[in-house]
Amino acid sequence: MQAADIATLLVNSLTWAMATFLVAAGLTLVFGTLHILNFSHGGFFMIGAYAAFSLAQWVGTSNSIALYLFGSLAAGVLVAGLGLVVDRLVLRRLAGVEDAYILIATYALLLVCEGSTKLVWGLKYHSVMPPAMLDGAWVMGSAVVPRLSLFIIACGLTVFIALEVFLNRTKSGRLVKAIAADPWMAGLLGINVRRVYTATVALGFALAGLAGGLLVSNQALSPSLASAFVIYAFGVIIVGGMGSISGAFFGSILLGLIDAIGQWVLPGLPGLPFFIAMTLILLLRPQGLMGRKH
Amino acid sequence: MSQPNRRHVLQYGAAAASSLALPGVSWAQGGPLKIGLITPLSGPQEFIGTYVKNGAEVAVDQINKAGGILGRQVALEIRDDKANPAAALAAARELLGAGVNLHIGGISSAVVLALVPVMQQENGVHITCGAGTEKMNHEAYSANMFRAGDSPDARGRAQAKLMAEKYPNITRWTGLIPDHEYGRTTWGIFVDGLLEFYPQIAKKKPEILDPILMPYGVSDYRNAITAALRQQADGCYNSTYGGDAITMFQQARGFGLMQRYKVVCDSANEFLVARGLKQQLPPQWTGMHYYPAGNKNPMSERFVADYLAKTKDNEPLGWAGESHAAVYALKSAIEKGRSAETKAVIANLKGLTWDTVTGPRHMRAEDNQAVKDVELVYIEPAQTEKGYAVTQYVKVDGKASILPPLPGQKLKLRTA
Repeated sequence: MQAADIATLLVNSLTWAMATFLVAAGLTLVFGTLHILNFSHGGFFMIGAYAAFSLAQWVGTSNSIALYLFGSLAAGVLVAGLGLVVDRLVLRRLAGVEDAYILIATYALLLVCEGSTKLVWGLKYHSVMPPAMLDGAWVMGSAVVPRLSLFIIACGLTVFIALEVFLNRTKSGRLVKAIAADPWMAGLLGINVRRVYTATVALGFALAGLAGGLLVSNQALSPSLASAFVIYAFGVIIVGGMGSISGAFFGSILLGLIDAIGQWVLPGLPGLPFFIAMTLILLLRPQGLMGRKH
Repeated sequence: MSQPNRRHVLQYGAAAASSLALPGVSWAQGGPLKIGLITPLSGPQEFIGTYVKNGAEVAVDQINKAGGILGRQVALEIRDDKANPAAALAAARELLGAGVNLHIGGISSAVVLALVPVMQQENGVHITCGAGTEKMNHEAYSANMFRAGDSPDARGRAQAKLMAEKYPNITRWTGLIPDHEYGRTTWGIFVDGLLEFYPQIAKKKPEILDPILMPYGVSDYRNAITAALRQQADGCYNSTYGGDAITMFQQARGFGLMQRYKVVCDSANEFLVARGLKQQLPPQWTGMHYYPAGNKNPMSERFVADYLAKTKDNEPLGWAGESHAAVYALKSAIEKGRSAETKAVIANLKGLTWDTVTGPRHMRAEDNQAVKDVELVYIEPAQTEKGYAVTQYVKVDGKASILPPLPGQKLKLRTA
């Protein structure tokens, strides 16, 4: 294996890792705080992507990176708004119920997302061109590095750093962590737990919408988009440790690397090393890489 | 349950009266003739299944307006198979249990192969509307299963022949193929065609590289794309399909992969990928079950008009043509034998020649495989409302590209 091959492999694995982390970030944030495993997260990611697609059609957000980022943020805001509605109508009612009910309720939400997408955008496949600056690649010797890949990596890193700073360096973030650790005690101390929950849901959904917008030119848009990402997003949050942002981040990097190396070594068995690695990690460390034993 | 109205009474009355006028017809009375339509109406294949459903509904409407089959109205019993063998089996058993013995609609290879034993055991007939497996006419052959469209060997070999004719100097070939039954079948047949036609037509031996296997239904193909880049092939055969193909092409664009190939030959995406990618589409040949603009015959023109009226879509994709052809095959077989009983329908489908939107087709009696011409189009991105344009259209004689029937035996293919 030459240096160019190693560079390409690293870029590919980091691209996958950051794309998956972007989707997983909101999922693990909501789980870590509210202890709700939101099965519909992929559906709201999909709605974010479709919203960004519509903006690309109407406003031409593919014309520049600034517009593209604006479209992604707008998708995030829209999905955050939907998150508030979902919180009011569904998630609040799930507090304290058994996991099976949460699973069924959020799965039903996923079906609502898919049905709504079909109604609004139809069944046809769509795609969005990346802005000109993100189209094409940098060629360094025999290594080919697509600009869109670097953009996705940069977005993943930015979201990770922003979340880490927010959760560990701001008062609001520390409140979220305190409530995640012990909501009863936080309530006794006069913290409005319900309000923090609502804000966390809005942030988690905003992250789903933002991921949809940022990744809109990365893959086909179809009403089954939700499942393409969310299975892997669940994989990285389980491997990283449920509820841990840094666990999801490092878990996605680890699994991305394993997948890329596996594809190189065993091209006839695509995907197999990924699932074997996931199984082994969970056998050795059931709570995930950065999760806590209960 | 809806109450019968005056229209129903008149319809069924007319059907009953006309069937009484046909002595000797083995014809169960009471209600319309039911045809089961089992196709994906949810999940990743829903988009294609919708074409199958629409095409069948147009056929049934046309037949009913013309007086039905032997005077009896036709009704579709529609079930969603989700492109999932378990769901398809449940739907087939339910319909067979309810006495609906004639089915159409399977488009997934796994579904169609799963249906083989149940149709045989429960005495039903199924006509697939686009499944690509060759096994149903070979080692998994069953008298109860039919394919009204082009066979995978006819399609793949016609494509290989066209490549040898049009691109005789492009001899280094690779494949981007989905890692499942359909991908391996299509690649194997295409390679067989390359190995036969390049020496014959281009007087050159093609170099066949290991195909790149693409995982199904994932969000990232970059590792596979990088592997394809390393091969430095000149010709590329793609059989990834639908959303997977669009995602793969989008990500390959960043690497400049498709631009490196001198020709891209796509197995069967018709306009699915072109409609999704528009200006991002890499120019390519693709196989069509039915290309409306290339079929100027009364049945096709009427089908396009009726399809437009029903769906507001003036360019039905080939799967709609396949289900339309399947319904008309059943109609012709029933009329020929004057019976809708399974045994009679099978006997009369075998060797049947019937009219379709692509012209007359012949159902081979030996292996239940239709012989039809293979339609191939070259699509390029264009500054049009659609975002793409068909710049070449070729119809290859189906009789020349299809392999001889070998029911019960594995398809024998050349390998590199």
